[in-house]
Order: sequence, then structure tokens, then C-alpha cells
Amino acid sequence: MTLQVQTAGAPRLATLHIRRSLAKLTAGQLADLRAAFQKTMALDDDRGFWYFAGWHGEPFNWCHHHDRLFLPWHRAYLYYFELALQAQQPGVTLPWWDWSLLDHLPHAYTAETADGADNPLLVRKVRVYQSGTDQPAPPRAPGGPQARGIPPPPYRARLHHAMQATSFTEFSRRLEAIHDDVHVWTGGIMQDIASAAYDPIFFAHHVMVDRCWRIWQHRQPGALPPQHLLDQPLRPNGMTVRDTLDVKQLGYEYAGTSSHVPGPTT
Amino acid sequence: MQRWTSQPLPVPAFPAAPWERADLEFEDLLHDGPSYAVVLFLNNPDVAEDAIPDEMPGFAGHFTVFAHGDCWGDPGHCDPPGKPVHAFDRRAPHPLAPINITVEITEALQALKDVEEVTVTALAYSTEPDKREDVLRFGRLTLITYDPPVTL
Repeated sequence: MTLQVQTAGAPRLATLHIRRSLAKLTAGQLADLRAAFQKTMALDDDRGFWYFAGWHGEPFNWCHHHDRLFLPWHRAYLYYFELALQAQQPGVTLPWWDWSLLDHLPHAYTAETADGADNPLLVRKVRVYQSGTDQPAPPRAPGGPQARGIPPPPYRARLHHAMQATSFTEFSRRLEAIHDDVHVWTGGIMQDIASAAYDPIFFAHHVMVDRCWRIWQHRQPGALPPQHLLDQPLRPNGMTVRDTLDVKQLGYEYAGTSSHVPGPTT
Repeated sequence: MQRWTSQPLPVPAFPAAPWERADLEFEDLLHDGPSYAVVLFLNNPDVAEDAIPDEMPGFAGHFTVFAHGDCWGDPGHCDPPGKPVHAFDRRAPHPLAPINITVEITEALQALKDVEEVTVTALAYSTEPDKREDVLRFGRLTLITYDPPVTL
């Protein structure tokens, strides 16, 4: 599956990576995803899973919530984390968990084992970056006591309502409200900001959030974040809000389906 | 579970004084402890805590605060954020700076019809009540109604 766009910096065509639904991953794609997590979890330096988990919550606390940088910051975060995965497992992309359709956690993230080994997508521990120690992670508890007061997924009607927004601020607010519910409904370390990104399912959740923003951008192409925020840098790498607006310039796209055939010159 | 009921808030009587949207704004919410969910009711201060929310009179919606959880730092790390160190302090706001939450309550408020004031009752459910049950802490609650656009 290849899509090419011209890059912003150098005048050349580059191949986009396609993010897919978890429900549509092939066995090989899922195996690649597991391998990517496994390999990055084996690294305790700034190439590893634990380092990137620490961007969001402890120890770095760089994330944004309940403000208008919520969507741009998390898009940049996924971009850098996906690059770290691709550095270990070329071609892999982060899939999305469609909580607008699914009423339970995706099986890929709940299976105890995969291919005869521990499933790296099932959270078991938290290792704060370069702390040298592992802490056991409490298991997820979807819909458990921690979710009292929260309607369970699927969130199809609420997502439809969010998609009706015509301003970025309103859309972001509505989507983040669903996002908060998913975190707390899932439970375990997903329920608090400090620890959430240490659970691999965090990334499938946030790819869904990012995908919803992308679809909304298709529908509202002129609706941007507030002007005064466009040149604001996002921690820690200095990507600006403006840099996050075009996913093709970040090297990826979302696809329900795509297919390709060779042209006459190949 | 924590229960909080507001003082009465004046409301432009609907439909006599038409408005097309109503929001509740929770201002300066704290989020330094466990995450929590808040279920909101209008003019129903005695709503049972174990009721099914959307079957109760005055149900207006809910919001969830995905909060920071336990402090992982040394003593003082998660103290309430103070002022900038000095006028040239360009650092981003403290992660625990208070937040605002908006909840659309248009249909619930319009359903009350002809009331002149409304109370808001919030049932707040902590994800970790053993650690902190009084999770709902905020500075001010504002009810905003928006007039329909002028038609010529």
C-alpha cells in the first residue's frame, strides 16, 4: 500500500505510512506491531518505549489536556513515538481502537500470549525512564468500579455530535470529553495522566482520537486552531501547532481501505 | 461519592425568553488527584446516588476529569502551582494548573420550561475513593445561555 506526497522540506516524493483499524490488521501486521513494542520495551534509553511513555505523564509531564493544544500535542506525540517504533520495526504503523463501534477492549491488547510468548500489548509493568526498577501495573478493569458515572462504549452518537462542531475549539472540547471517558472506563494505569501512556493501549486510543480529528479536518478544511496558537511550539521537540495540521507532511494517513496497482512505468 | 448542590442560578425563562444553547462552565477545576466522573442534575438535589442517571428527573449530562493521579515526585512536586518565578518566566503553565470544563445542557434546561432559577446537583465519583473522595473542587460554576441569531 503506497501513497506518495511531495515533502515540505526537500522537493521529493516520499511514501506515506498508512494507519489502519485494529479490526483490519492482517496477522503479519499485528505481529509487526507486537515486535515493535517488544523491541522498544527492551530499550531503556531515549529510543525506548519507557522514554516515550514518560513524555506524556511521569516523569516529564509534557502532555496537554483540557486546553486547545490537546489535539496538536498528541498528534506530535504519536508522530515521534511511531518513528521510534519504525526505527526498530521498519514499516510498522500504529493502529486505532474504534471505541465508536466496539463495546470492549480490542483482543489484540488483552490476549495473555501471542505466538507462544507474552503479549507485549498487555500491560504488566511500569518502568519510569532510567529509574532502573519495574513496578507492577494494576490490570485494566473496563467498566469496573472506577468507571461509575461513565456511560460505557460504544460512543457512536457522541462522536457524531462531536463531528457536527464547526469550530476547532468546540470540536476539540467535545472529542476530549469522550477521550476522558475512554481513559477512565478502561481503568488500570490508563485512568490517570501520570501513568496512562505506560499502557500500550493508550496509543491505540489516541490514534483513534487523532483519526477523528483528521476526518473532521476533511469536513472542515478551513477550521484551524486559534491563530495565536499556530506558531506555539509543542514540548519537547519544538514542532509547532501549525506543523501538526497536515498529517501527510507528518508522513502518514488514515485509510479504511486502500489498494494499488503498478503503473506503466514501473 | 461526593454530592454538591449549587445555589440557585437565574435562568431566562424558556420558551418565553428564547435561547438556543445553554452551557455549564466549571471554572478553576483541580485535577491533582484521582480521575473522577461527575453526573449533573438540574433542580433535583435529592437524586439518589445509585439511580440510573439518565432516567432521573433533571439529568443534564456528565463529564469525566482525566486527572493526574498520585504524585510520583519528591515532596512538593505536586503542590498547587504557584506564580511564575519572575516576569521573564517563559515556561509552560504547571501541569496541575486549574482547568475549565464545559458541559452542554441545552435540552435538559429547556425541558424544565418556564423556571426562573435552577440548582445544579453534582454527584462526583472518584476512581479511588479510598485515597480521595472529595474530588470535585472548583472555583466557580457559571450558567451561560446563548441567544439565537437575530433574524431580519
